[in-house]
Amino acid sequence: MVLPDTVAGFAVFPIVYSPQVTHVIYGKSHTNPKKATKKAVNITFPDGRTLFLANVPPDATERELSLLFKSCGTVEKVVFDHDSLPGDTLELQSESESEAEDMDAAMDGDGNGEPPSKKRKRSKKGGEDVPVLKPLPSVPLRILRETGRTAHLVFLDDSSLERALALPRKPRQWPSSDEPRGLAHYAARHDALRPPLDAVREHADSAVAVYDYQEELKKQKSGYHKGEAIVDEDGFTLVTRGGAYGKTLGGGVGVANKKFNGGSEESGRRRKKKKEGKEKDGFYAFQNHEKKRNELLQLKKNWEEDKAKVEKLRESRRFKPY
Amino acid sequence: MAHELANRERKRSEKQSAVAELSPAKDNNSKKTKRNAKVTDELEEATDEPIQDFTTGDDGIEGATGYDSDGSTSSQDQDGDQAGTEAPEAPSSSTADTRVHTGKLLLPPKGEELRQIKEASELFKSSSFKLQIDALLPNLAPKVSHTAPLERFLFALHTVLISIPSTKPLPPLEAARNLSSKDKSRSKKSFIGDSPIAVPYPHPNPTEDVKWTVEFESPKEITVVGSWANKIGVKAREGMGWGVDLAVEMPAALFQEKDVHNARFFHKRAFYLAYLASHLSSLSTMKDSPFKVHVAYESPGADARLTTLLLRPVSDGSPTDFSKLNAFVRLIPVIPPSSPLALHRLSPSHASIRASSASSTSEPIEPPPTPLYNSALLKCTTPRLHLLHTHALIQEVPSFTNALTLLRVWANQRGYNGDYIASENAKTSSVARAFLAGWAGRGPWWAALLGVLVNGEEPISDSGRKSAKRKLVARGLSSYQLFRAALDFLSRHEWSSQPVFARTKDGKHRHPPAEYQQYHDAVFVDASSSVNLLAGMPLSSLDLLRHDAKVTLDVLGDGISAIDPFAEAFLNDQRDMVTRFDVVLSVDIANAKIHNQSHKALDWGSENSFVINSVCSVLRRALTNRAKAIGVFIQPPETRPVSQANALPPPSSIIHIGLILDPANAHRLVDHGPALTDANTESDSHEVKVFRELWGEKSELRRFKDGRIQESVVWDVQSSDARAHIPAMIVKHILAQHFGIDSVNAVKGCQDEFDRIVRLPESISKLLVHPDRSQTGFKGAMAAFDTLVRDIKSLDEALPLALLNVSPVSSSLRYTSVFAPLPLPHSTVLTSPSCARYVPAMDVELQFERSARWPDDLVAIQKTKLAFFECISTALMERVPGLKATVVVGDESSASDIMDQGKLEILTPQGWAFTARIWHDREATLLERLTDSKNGLINRIQQNFEDKDTERERKKARDALEIYTRRFIHAPKHHRAIASLFHLFPAYSGTVRLVKRWLASHWLLGGHVSEEAVELLCASVFIGDGKSLVEGNSELVGRAGVPGSKEAGFARVVKFLACWKWEGGLVVPVYGSGGTSAEGGKNVEVKAGSAPGVWVISTEEDREGRMWTSKGPTPLAARRIKVLAKASWECLKALEREYYDVKTLFIHPTEDYDFLIRLVPTAVHRYYQNVNVDPSVWAGNRKYANLPAETELDTNKTVRVNFDPAKMYFEDLQRVYNGTAVFFYDPLGGTVIGGVWDPSLKEARLFRVLCGYSSIPERQITPEAKSKNKTKDMIVLGEAAILAEIRRMGEGLVASIVVRNNN
Repeated sequence: MVLPDTVAGFAVFPIVYSPQVTHVIYGKSHTNPKKATKKAVNITFPDGRTLFLANVPPDATERELSLLFKSCGTVEKVVFDHDSLPGDTLELQSESESEAEDMDAAMDGDGNGEPPSKKRKRSKKGGEDVPVLKPLPSVPLRILRETGRTAHLVFLDDSSLERALALPRKPRQWPSSDEPRGLAHYAARHDALRPPLDAVREHADSAVAVYDYQEELKKQKSGYHKGEAIVDEDGFTLVTRGGAYGKTLGGGVGVANKKFNGGSEESGRRRKKKKEGKEKDGFYAFQNHEKKRNELLQLKKNWEEDKAKVEKLRESRRFKPY
Repeated sequence: MAHELANRERKRSEKQSAVAELSPAKDNNSKKTKRNAKVTDELEEATDEPIQDFTTGDDGIEGATGYDSDGSTSSQDQDGDQAGTEAPEAPSSSTADTRVHTGKLLLPPKGEELRQIKEASELFKSSSFKLQIDALLPNLAPKVSHTAPLERFLFALHTVLISIPSTKPLPPLEAARNLSSKDKSRSKKSFIGDSPIAVPYPHPNPTEDVKWTVEFESPKEITVVGSWANKIGVKAREGMGWGVDLAVEMPAALFQEKDVHNARFFHKRAFYLAYLASHLSSLSTMKDSPFKVHVAYESPGADARLTTLLLRPVSDGSPTDFSKLNAFVRLIPVIPPSSPLALHRLSPSHASIRASSASSTSEPIEPPPTPLYNSALLKCTTPRLHLLHTHALIQEVPSFTNALTLLRVWANQRGYNGDYIASENAKTSSVARAFLAGWAGRGPWWAALLGVLVNGEEPISDSGRKSAKRKLVARGLSSYQLFRAALDFLSRHEWSSQPVFARTKDGKHRHPPAEYQQYHDAVFVDASSSVNLLAGMPLSSLDLLRHDAKVTLDVLGDGISAIDPFAEAFLNDQRDMVTRFDVVLSVDIANAKIHNQSHKALDWGSENSFVINSVCSVLRRALTNRAKAIGVFIQPPETRPVSQANALPPPSSIIHIGLILDPANAHRLVDHGPALTDANTESDSHEVKVFRELWGEKSELRRFKDGRIQESVVWDVQSSDARAHIPAMIVKHILAQHFGIDSVNAVKGCQDEFDRIVRLPESISKLLVHPDRSQTGFKGAMAAFDTLVRDIKSLDEALPLALLNVSPVSSSLRYTSVFAPLPLPHSTVLTSPSCARYVPAMDVELQFERSARWPDDLVAIQKTKLAFFECISTALMERVPGLKATVVVGDESSASDIMDQGKLEILTPQGWAFTARIWHDREATLLERLTDSKNGLINRIQQNFEDKDTERERKKARDALEIYTRRFIHAPKHHRAIASLFHLFPAYSGTVRLVKRWLASHWLLGGHVSEEAVELLCASVFIGDGKSLVEGNSELVGRAGVPGSKEAGFARVVKFLACWKWEGGLVVPVYGSGGTSAEGGKNVEVKAGSAPGVWVISTEEDREGRMWTSKGPTPLAARRIKVLAKASWECLKALEREYYDVKTLFIHPTEDYDFLIRLVPTAVHRYYQNVNVDPSVWAGNRKYANLPAETELDTNKTVRVNFDPAKMYFEDLQRVYNGTAVFFYDPLGGTVIGGVWDPSLKEARLFRVLCGYSSIPERQITPEAKSKNKTKDMIVLGEAAILAEIRRMGEGLVASIVVRNNN
C-alpha cells in the first residue's frame, strides 16, 4: 500500500488502528492568520512550534496525540477544533471548568467570553475576599468530537516541529491513553454527571456567590444609579426597556411603549392601514362594475383551474376506481 | 316479441353506423371541443346550433350502448357518453370550453357558462368535485365499441331459444336421468350433447312416486332485463364482467296452481333450466353452431332455487364472440303474468313447504311459514316489472343514472356486492375477496332505493300515520345531491324497526305489511309490492351499510384536510378488514351445527347460508350496543359446471367476522338481562328464557348493589389489556354455545399477538414484575407520580420558594409508552441480569412561585437550579425513607452553560424513577434577548463591545431557547392534550404503543422520529378535523369512523404513513381549541434547509408544525418510513386472507444497510424489551436463580437510573459521524445498529482541511485523473478507519461489525 507523502501541502501521517486498517492524519506547521477576521477567535498559537493537524480521530485525547508525537519532542499542549462553532458540545461542565482554568494562564487576552471564565477572570482581578468557584469533582473522560476535525499541537521548542514534519511516513500505531472507552466510558460519564450532593451544594453555592459578587462589582463599576441614563462617549443616551422589575440592571432609560423595541414597523403599518381605510368602496358605479366583473373572473378562473387539475388527475388514470 | 327484438336491432344498427362515424373523435374531448370551437369562431356569437349538432351526435353514441325496453332512442341519460364531461344538469357545456381554447383568455363568463359554473359549485360539493364526478362516470360504463358482438350474440341466442323443441312430460327424476345419461339410445332427444347435464333440483328433492311431471316448451318471450337493459350497469370490482340478464319466460301451460308448494315450481324451473343448458352446451359443441359459449350454473347466495344459467363467450374471434366486452349473459327463467300459480297466497306467513310424505311423522304439526321460499318464488315474477319501473324512474329523474352509478361505485368500494363471477380474462382472478354476507343478487335494490327516495313510501295501510317523517327528494336534484340523499337515508334508517314499502301505482299492498315485519328481518318491498328485496338480508350487514354511510357523510361533510373526500368516497378501496373493523376473527364453520332448525334451513335454501345468517343474527343479539356494526364475510360463491346439480360448497369454510366497536359500550364487564320482577315467579318470563337461551350457562341470576335482581352475564377479566378482548370473547362464547364451534382451534384473531408485541415476555416479567400487580402499569405510575407530588409539596417549609405546579411530561404518564411502566425496586434491579437493568425515568416539571430573588443571568439561573435541586433532594430523602435523590449536573448531549441542564433524579422506594426539572420563565426572556438581533445589539453595547463572538453566542442561545420552548412550553401542553385523548378514545393509547413499537423495531423511533410526533400522527387518525374535540364528548362517541381497537388504529396509521405525502404537511388539532384550526395548516410550507426534518405536523399551539419534527425524519428516513409502511400495509392486508404471525410485521429487514454494528446483548440494558428477544441471554449467565449476576459493571452497587449505554453510543455515533453516515437503531433493546454511508462521499474529492469526514488519500490514481494532473490531492472516505473507530468507541458494547458489499 502506497500513500503519498504529502497531500496539498500537508504531511501525511499514517496511523495504524489494526493490522489491516490505517487512518491518516494530515499535518502542517501552523501559521497565524495575518489579520484576525471578525469571526476568528483571538487565540494565537506560538509560531514555529505549533503543528496543525487535520482529520484527527474523533475520540483522540490530548494525551494520545502527545504520545503519538512523543518521539519528536515534548508537547506543551493540544487544542482541539478551536474555530469550530458549537465546538465541543460534549464537553462536560466539570471539565470545561477545570480546563478553562488551566488555559487561562496560557491564553492571554482570551476574549472568548465564555461566562464561567469571564467570571473567574474578574474574580481574580477583584481582591482577597473574592468568592471562588468550587468546581464539581471531575473524572478523566474522553470527549467524542465530530469526525474529520482539526487540532493544534504546540511543542515546547521549534525543532520538535521540524522533526515531526520530517517524520518517516511509515505507519505508526495509534497510542492509547487511560480514559475509559465504550461501555466503561458511558458508565463513567453517567456517574460523573451525578456527583455527591454536598459537592453539588458547594458548587452551586459558590457559583451563586460568585455571581452575586460580580453583580455587586458591576454595579460599583458602572456607577449607575437608579434613574440615571447611560450616556456613551459620543453623548448618546442609551434607551432601553426595563427588566422584569422595571429597571435594567446596567442602567438605561425606561421606555413607555412596548412596541418601541421590537415592533416599530408594525405600528407604522397600522397607521398606514388607517389611512387607506378612509376611501370608500362602491362609491362610484365603475367600482361596483369592476368588483362584479372581478368576482366573475375569479369564478371562472377557479373553474378553469379546477378543470385543469381534474384533467391532470385524469391523465394519471386516477379516475379508474378499480 | 321476436319482431320486437328485430325491430330494435334495426334501430340499433342505424345507431351503430353513427357510432362508427363518430368513433375516432368520441374518446377525445379536446377534439370535440376544438371542432366546436371552430364553428363558434366562425359564427362569432355562440349560437345554439353547433351545440345542437353535437348533442345529436351524443345521442347516437348512447343509443348503441344498450337496449331500451321500449326501443326508443330518446333517452335522456347520457352515461353512455364516453367523452362527455357534462352531467345532465348542465347539458351544453361546450361554449365554456370554446372561449378558453380559442385563446380569448378570461372574459367574464356569461349566460350559459355562468350558469354552469354556478351550478357546479352549488349543486355539487364544489366545482372540482363535479368535474371529478364527470371524469369518473365514463370509466364505469361498458365500452361502446365492444358491444356489437354482444348484440349479434343476443339475436342469435334469441333465435336458438325460440326454436328449441318441446319435450314430453315426464316425472322429474326420470327426466333428470334422461338428461344426465350419456347413453343416447335411452334418450329420446337425440341432439343432446355428450356432456351429462344435472338438474339442479332444490331441496326437498322430488321423489320417484310423485304424480306431477316436468317438461320443456320453448320460451314465450325473451327480454333483456336488469341494469344492462336500462344502461345503468356499473362496472364491478375485480374484473368481474358485465352481467346481461335475459328473462326467459316459461310458458304458463307448464304450471299448475298448486305448484307453489313443496318446491314443485322450483323443480319445474330447474328442469327447464337444465334443459336449456343441455341444449346450449350441445349446440356449442356442434360444428355449425351460430355461437359458442361456456355454460354454467350459478346460484346467488348458494340458493339452488334461484339457480340461473350463465353463458360466457368462447373467445374464438367469431362475430358473436363478445369476450372483449368482458360480459356474460345470464338466463333467468321467469313466470308469465298470466300463470296459473297461486301467487296471491305467497304472503310471508304462508307455509309453502308442507311436511313431505317421506317423513311420515304423523304428528299434526302446523307447518312453519316459509317467508324466504315465498319471496324466492315471487322473485321469478319481478324482472320485467323492475325493468319497467326503473325505466320510468330514469325518465322521470334526470340524474337518476348518475346518482345510481355513484351509489353503486360507493357500495362496490365497500364490498356491498355479493356476486362474483370470475370472468375468463379477469386480470386478478386470484384476488377473490371474501364478500359480505347477504348481498348476493341485490342489484335491483339499489335502484329501488333511489326510487323510494324520489317516489316515497306506501303508508302502512289503514293506520293514519303517513310516512310524514321523511320528505320526498326532489326529482331535479343533481346526481351528487341524490347520492347524498341516499347516503343520508342509509345512515339514519333503522331497518330492524322501520320497514320500507315503496309507493305502488295503485296504492295497495299485495300482502299484509305486518306479516313482512314479522317474518323478515329487514323489509324493503318493491314498487310492485310483490317481493321483499331485502329478504334474507342479515341486519348486521345493513348495520354495516349504515355505518359506512355515516362515515362517508362525515368525510363529505367536513373539511378534514388530510383526506380527499372524493377519493375517500369513490376511488379508494375501503374493504380492507384490518382498517375497517376493530376486531377481526376468522372462523372455521365447517363443523358448525344448529339443532332443531332443519325446517328453517329448508326455507333458506341452503344449509350454509342458513348457518351464516344465524351467526349474523345471534351475534347481533349478543353484542347489542357493544358493536356499531358486524360484518360477516363469506368466501365468494363459484359458478359450477352444468354437470353439477347442487351448489358447490364454498371453496373454504372460513368466514371472517369483523366488529366495529362502539367504544363507549364495547368493554362493559356485565351484560344485564331482564330483571326478575317477582322473585317467586322465577319460572321464567319469556324474556328470561330468551336471555338464557342466548347465553347458555354463562347467564346467571345476580343481585346488584342497588337491589336489582337480574339475569346477567359477567365477563371475567384479569388485566386492563384483556378488557379489550371482551367483544372477541363474546363472539367465541356465542359461536361455541350456538354452533358448537371450537373457540380454540376454529376461531382465530390476532389481538393476542398484538398484545404480546407490547408486553414483556413471560420469562423476564417473572423476574421483574412485582408480585402485587396493582402497583404496576400506567395506573401505578400515575399513583407514584401523585405520591411524589404530595411529597414534594409537603416540603414547603424546607424550600425557599413555594411549589406552584408539577406537570408530568412523560409518555409513561400519558399512557403512550410502548411498555406499561414497571416499578423496579432496588433489590430487583441489582439481582436482575444486566440486559434487564434499564430503569426508565419519567420526566416531571416543577414550577415555583415567582420571586425577585432569581438572578437575572442565564448561567447563574442554572446554578441556582442546582442549588434548588440539592435542597429538594436532601429534604426529600429525609422525609421519605428509602427514597434516593441525586442531582444530575448536566445533560449527556450538550454542554451549553446557558441551557437548562440540571435535573433531579428521584428513585422512590417502590422503584419508580423520576427526573425533575425546574421551569423558570425568566429564562425565555433572557434567551430571546440574546437571540433577537436588536436586543442583541443593545446587549453588546451594554457589554461595551467586550464580546465580539456574538454569532456563536447567538447560536448557543438559539439552541438553548429551542430546547427551552420545547421542554417547558410545548411538552407539558402536549402531555395534557395527549393524556386527555386517552380518556376520549380507549383505543388511542394502544394504537400509539403499537405504532411506536413498529417504528422502533424498524430502527426509526427516537433517532429519527420523536415520540411526540408519533403521538400526533396517531391522534390524527382519531380526531379527524378536531371538531368533535370542541363540541364535547357526547358528539364524539357518536362519530363514525374512529378506530375502536388498537389493531385497527395501528392498521390505519400504517396505511396513512404508506400514502402520506409529507410535503403537504398534516394538521392535527389535538388541543381542541377548534375554529382556528382550518387556516393554520392550509399553507404549510417547508422552508428548505431550516431543519433536517421534513415532516410538518402542526397543531393549534404550533402552527409551523416543526416542534417535534425539526430533528427528523430527514428526507432519507421519511422515504424509508414510507417504504416500510407500504410493505407492512401489504402484510396487514394479507392478514385477512391467510393467517400468520403478526410479529413478522415487526422484524426489520437489514439488507439495505452498508454496515451493521452488532452489539453484545448482555451489554444492552434494555435488551429485554427487544421484539425478537432470546430468553437464553438472561437465562444463560444465571446458573442459580438466587445468585446475583456479576458483570464488570456491577462492582458499585448502585442503580443507574435511565442508563442505556447502547442508546448513548448510538447518539454519539449520530453526532460524531453526522454528514458521513446515517445510523439507525431500535431504542427498545435493539442489538444491531445499521449504518448507511452518505452516497455523495463515495467519490474521490479534492483535499480540504475541514471536509467534515475522515479521509485517506486516494491510492489508485485513475488515468484520467493523472492526465488532469490532480493525482496528488485527491482523497476518499476512509471507511475502514471509521469502522475501526466505531469499534474502538464501542468497546465492550460492539460484538462485531458486518460490512455489506452492496455494489
